[in-house]
Amino acid sequence: MKLHQLSLFLLGLLLGAVALAQGTPQPNAQAMLQASDAVRNPDKAFGVTVTLIEYRNGKQTDTSTLGSYAKSDARSGQFRTLIRFVAPTRDEGKLMLKNGNDFWFYDPASRASVRLSPQQRLMGQASNGDVVTVNLAKDYQAKIGLEEEIADGNRQMRRSTRLDLSASSPDASYNRIELWVDSANSQPLKARFFSESERLLKTVYYRRYQPQLGKERPTEMVIIDGLDAKWVTVMRYSDFVYRDVPEVWLQRDYLPSFKPE
Amino acid sequence: MYIKQATALLTIALCAPAFAADAIEDDALNLADTTTETAPVTPSSWRLFSETTAGRTTVHQWGLPDTTEDTQRLSLDLLVDKRLSPEVRAVFSDRLDLNHQSDALGQKTLNSVKEAYLSWQPQNDRVLDVGRINVRYGAAMGYNPTDFFREGANRAITSFDPNAIRENRMGTVMLRGQTLWQGGALTAIVAPKVADAPNTGDWNADLGATNNRNRWLVSVSHQLADNFNPQLVLYGDQRQPVQMGLNLAMLVNDATVAHVEWSGGRQKSLLAQALPLSQAVSQDETFRNRLATGLTYTTASKLSITGEYHYNGAAVDKAVWNALRTSSMLDYTSYRELVDEQLDLTTRQAAFLRASWQDAFINRLDLTAMLRYNLDDHSKLSWLEARYRFEKSEVALQWVMASGDDSSDFGAMAQRRYIQALFRYYF
Repeated sequence: MKLHQLSLFLLGLLLGAVALAQGTPQPNAQAMLQASDAVRNPDKAFGVTVTLIEYRNGKQTDTSTLGSYAKSDARSGQFRTLIRFVAPTRDEGKLMLKNGNDFWFYDPASRASVRLSPQQRLMGQASNGDVVTVNLAKDYQAKIGLEEEIADGNRQMRRSTRLDLSASSPDASYNRIELWVDSANSQPLKARFFSESERLLKTVYYRRYQPQLGKERPTEMVIIDGLDAKWVTVMRYSDFVYRDVPEVWLQRDYLPSFKPE
Repeated sequence: MYIKQATALLTIALCAPAFAADAIEDDALNLADTTTETAPVTPSSWRLFSETTAGRTTVHQWGLPDTTEDTQRLSLDLLVDKRLSPEVRAVFSDRLDLNHQSDALGQKTLNSVKEAYLSWQPQNDRVLDVGRINVRYGAAMGYNPTDFFREGANRAITSFDPNAIRENRMGTVMLRGQTLWQGGALTAIVAPKVADAPNTGDWNADLGATNNRNRWLVSVSHQLADNFNPQLVLYGDQRQPVQMGLNLAMLVNDATVAHVEWSGGRQKSLLAQALPLSQAVSQDETFRNRLATGLTYTTASKLSITGEYHYNGAAVDKAVWNALRTSSMLDYTSYRELVDEQLDLTTRQAAFLRASWQDAFINRLDLTAMLRYNLDDHSKLSWLEARYRFEKSEVALQWVMASGDDSSDFGAMAQRRYIQALFRYYF
């Protein structure tokens, strides 16, 4: 074989390998992500009570309760949420509306509705709400990262698939997410959320799976702050209920009139 | 041998962060395991808090040397918001301020009936409210040209923080109807005249302060595109032609929201309103604009900074302001009283800066700083607060300083400086 023939042969091999690598079908990462979303989120509008217990340096420092009303948008498929602060007393009645990248905060004391930036919303505990009530498949593109055994939230070894999610919509709250799901049933086990500057924002364990609204769903999330690992939030979900959330409620002008049962 | 050792060390070095992360996560999960079940919390239909303050104020009165006096205040603030039936809701809100202070600083006892109304929602997209309602329009923070029902609404100013001023004010007696559709709403308000003039009686509901003439308002908003949801307002007042207003808040990037609030319409200047009989002041109604626009930027460390530019086309400009300050004391006082009552800008232009830092240095400690700067006479008002939140209470330290010439916008304030400690308790 002459030199130029050998070169052509090697080039052909290389191109073939590249083509093969590109054409390798992913084990349907996006479908796994959708299945994982469906484990966390009921398929119809629903309400849930969220209790957040906050720890700093191992000591319980704060407890708050939120009522969350979620409904998916027929257009985008993404969840819109109306969060009502129930406790502590100083925050009672305050509302947070999330509709895509529109965030409105309403304070009944001043009767004022204020638009917030995503960064501003991250300041409050309400931001943790979307760790659960969000359809990741709508805002992120998934790739299969790794098949591995990991310890789940109960320290049980589980065969898992790590999905590497990258933001594909301007509404995505995080730049990148690593999500470990059970390889057998796509139950979310653990996730890491990253900012645009590749800073780890939070690590979340999904656990306490219980039958809720027709499916085994996680009812407890353990959230570890990315910057301060001694800041841990335990988020518990209770009182799941299918509940109609009228479209007209999900806007700034309705917030002063919102008074759930 | 060396290669083996080096390989082992490298392996340890590479794996150490992973082990550390695992240990951290294990600790967190152990902590979560110890979390006991919390008792269910149900939404309450009322909220009551008391606020006690003690402070020292430098009292400034024109032509007299400054004096210092100690002040104390006890306030009770109640809000009841109860659903009477699936369709009817009752709201009542009241604030009582008991002040221990000299007459120069204001009334000693003041009760403000902030809200008292019934709300009927026969269907999801229709709401009808009747009673005294605190209606607040405005996208801006430091000055709200479209907040048409702000005039005369504050019986007592217990804080210079714009949020507190809004919280402590009285609503207006009105009939309000609202119809909603997906992404939009139309609101109509009729606020009739109920009394001729304000009543300063300690316990008076003071309907004359908020309902001393017939007024109406119509507002419409609609989500025209993602990130574009303008609100248009029309406001009618028997004292002047119809005024228009616009509110718009848009996301600039992940950390920044820009806002514009504008109102405009034909009306007399504020000076003409204050001095209706003066031959030297034109009583013409011309188109006048008011504007508040700015940005709010939030850092990753929970620091939020708002900067705003304020413009009031109905207020006196720099030249007239300087002339007014040095001419008739009576005219000057009349003008100031009118501007204070309307919570309007004293002169044509101002700047506003507010920074709030949540969980500053330590968890639960909030620091807030505010600066109002009059761009025409260069007087300023600075306000600082440190507030620590406990489970059912809050303690705060507040400091205020007004600076500028005696007759300037902020230099003329009676409370030139004050420092006060505050304790709030939620029952």
